[in-house]
Amino acid sequence: MKCPRTRLPVGFGALAVSVLCWLYVFPVERLPDEKELVREVLQRGRAWSRNLSALQGFRKQLNDCCHPGHLFSVTKVNTPLGVNLWFDGEFLHSLIIENSTYSLFPQDTPFKLPLKRCSVVGNGGILKGSRCGKQIDEADFVIRCNLPPLTSGYTLDVGTKTQLVTVNPSIIEKRFQNLLWSRKSFVESLKVYKSSYVYLPAFSMRHGTEPSLRAYYTLADFSANQTVLFANPNFLRNVGKFWKNKGVHSKRLSTGLFMASAALSLCEEVTVYGFWPFQIDLKGSPIRHHYYDDVPPLSGFHSMPEEFLQLWLLHKSGILRVQLGQCTPEEPQ
Amino acid sequence: MGYADPSSSRDLLGNRTLFFIFICAFALVTLLQQILYGRNYIKRGLQFSWQSGEEMGNWTGIFNFTDDGAVKTGSDAGARYFEFYEGPLDFNSSKCLELRQDIIDVKVLSMVKETDLFDRWKSLQICKWEMNVTEANMFKSQLSKCCNAPSFLFTTQKNTPLGTKLRYEVDTSGIFQISPEIFKIFPKDMPYYRSQFKKCAVIGNGGILKNSKCGKEIDNADFVFRCNLPPISDKYLADVGMKTDVVTINPSIITERFQKLEKWRKPFYDVLQGYENASILLPAFYNTRNTDVSIRVKYVLDDFESQQSVYYFHPQYLINVSRFWLIQGVRAKRISSGLILVTAALELCDEVHLYGFWGFPMNPSGIFITHHYYDNVKPRPGFHAMPSEIFNFIHMHSKGILRVHTGTCF
Repeated sequence: MKCPRTRLPVGFGALAVSVLCWLYVFPVERLPDEKELVREVLQRGRAWSRNLSALQGFRKQLNDCCHPGHLFSVTKVNTPLGVNLWFDGEFLHSLIIENSTYSLFPQDTPFKLPLKRCSVVGNGGILKGSRCGKQIDEADFVIRCNLPPLTSGYTLDVGTKTQLVTVNPSIIEKRFQNLLWSRKSFVESLKVYKSSYVYLPAFSMRHGTEPSLRAYYTLADFSANQTVLFANPNFLRNVGKFWKNKGVHSKRLSTGLFMASAALSLCEEVTVYGFWPFQIDLKGSPIRHHYYDDVPPLSGFHSMPEEFLQLWLLHKSGILRVQLGQCTPEEPQ
Repeated sequence: MGYADPSSSRDLLGNRTLFFIFICAFALVTLLQQILYGRNYIKRGLQFSWQSGEEMGNWTGIFNFTDDGAVKTGSDAGARYFEFYEGPLDFNSSKCLELRQDIIDVKVLSMVKETDLFDRWKSLQICKWEMNVTEANMFKSQLSKCCNAPSFLFTTQKNTPLGTKLRYEVDTSGIFQISPEIFKIFPKDMPYYRSQFKKCAVIGNGGILKNSKCGKEIDNADFVFRCNLPPISDKYLADVGMKTDVVTINPSIITERFQKLEKWRKPFYDVLQGYENASILLPAFYNTRNTDVSIRVKYVLDDFESQQSVYYFHPQYLINVSRFWLIQGVRAKRISSGLILVTAALELCDEVHLYGFWGFPMNPSGIFITHHYYDNVKPRPGFHAMPSEIFNFIHMHSKGILRVHTGTCF
């Protein structure tokens, strides 16, 4: 079949599509430079006041799109037996909830809503030396991400209190050999979070389901204090869409932003700590990637600067508070 | 016919072409099947016993009998032992010598009718049993030459140094290299030595144990071996006792009953707790599928801080033992774990007593019995040659090497 006439338009069409894709992936409006942001942050200083009407408006938006109070975790109420649960991090992959899995779910979201003051603790290197531990612990509900270390060396900076800690299945795979061999180390490493909720995105990635369920079995076998909650893929998907509309372009949101969004809806007052995706701190000196190590993440998966920009916009409009810099000034030596 | 369809002459989908396509399709499908299932098919053929229901296997299914017959016996089992008693006749009296010779004369199982063998065995029950030290020592020296349980029964750090390439017993192409993590879980050296124990009991799980009331006698032994995680709850206490020093677990049990230990582990741990301080013995290097599951057992016990030790059969020991019994006429794809334990016990103990080893669907009086003392689940046929194993034991009993208990204990 020869259609020499159509060749040119088809070529142009392809070109146009690829340009559109390019624009979608790498949007034209670039992010503000980190130096620029630092200047802005310093300019604003510590001044922050809550804007109740903006907060209510934003909370309404969130509730309309994602129902965090109802959908935050997988429960027997929102995920009945036999339902087909579509994974949010995979293309067309789903799991039918059978009795063996269904029995692991709690009856309903176990928090008493609304929560009062919440701290969402990211693991950014900016937390190191911040002395925010006390302030973090003062909140009623402290959310931490991805099993951060809370050893005595970090207590001053990050505190000890934890009500909810998220665990990424990839951590289970890397640090605990998928819980296929010895499981004691996993239980031991969770002891530091006392009787918190362990939040596992079990139904996001194909390879995350088994390890996450195994985490449940492990904690149950050892009758540990922690309670396992599985992230609801519908919630994660909706939150992802919500932020995509606001201009966060990444394959997947970071756990921190998921948690911050949930907190914004579940809590009356939200402060986020350790969210700072840049190489330098407010004084311009270089900082590490995490407060506990300097292992950079896989590139191209999350787009932390874009996420931070969104949080910063919320901060500016008085919806949540982004804590950067030191909480309590260093005592004179 | 001025008009001719241009395609008519080409025989586009004519008979020959269709036939050809059909043959091609068939060939393709066959080829695909070969490629996809061929290897598995061969493998499946080789996965005998440990994998597939050895725990159920105390005899090969060569006897056809109905379930009803077997079940029925449960009710009238109480009456079946009345003719057995620890006879007054001395083991070496002339009458007993004659009776024993009757059994030893049966060289091959197929030489006599089963009922005839039962009769001879039954009449031997009037004799007391005693050990024939010369025969026993001769047999044990044979065993020490071939198998040498005191140093090769388990994999230890001594006989399996770091970096050893262990060859699997069945998957001969499979090789398992001992990594530091695996090496660490091996015991330093064999925990047992030659003739360490005076009186050992090896418990097969045959239905003949039911209502035998042998529990007390078993518990009196110095060392008790059990096979395949048998239940020893209160219900069976009177018949099988509860003392356990070594218990073997077939990885297929772990796979089926405990989901390979990939999910819950506490139930498995709780079952093992029932055996108190018994050591767990696993054929980890029997085939490649057993290894992970078996090693996981060690981790489970460590995680729960259990005092029980976990040992793994040395694959070379298993190979040697099956070779040894093959020469004695046990022709099976796979010898049972009971036979392996008896072989080991013969080297580790002075006197070996077998309970619950009876590989026939009926007891010596001809009454049908259940397959196991705890259930009546039959094995997949063709893996074990139970009758032939039992036949060997009866021979050895008659020679005074070990003692087979098939009656009630008082």
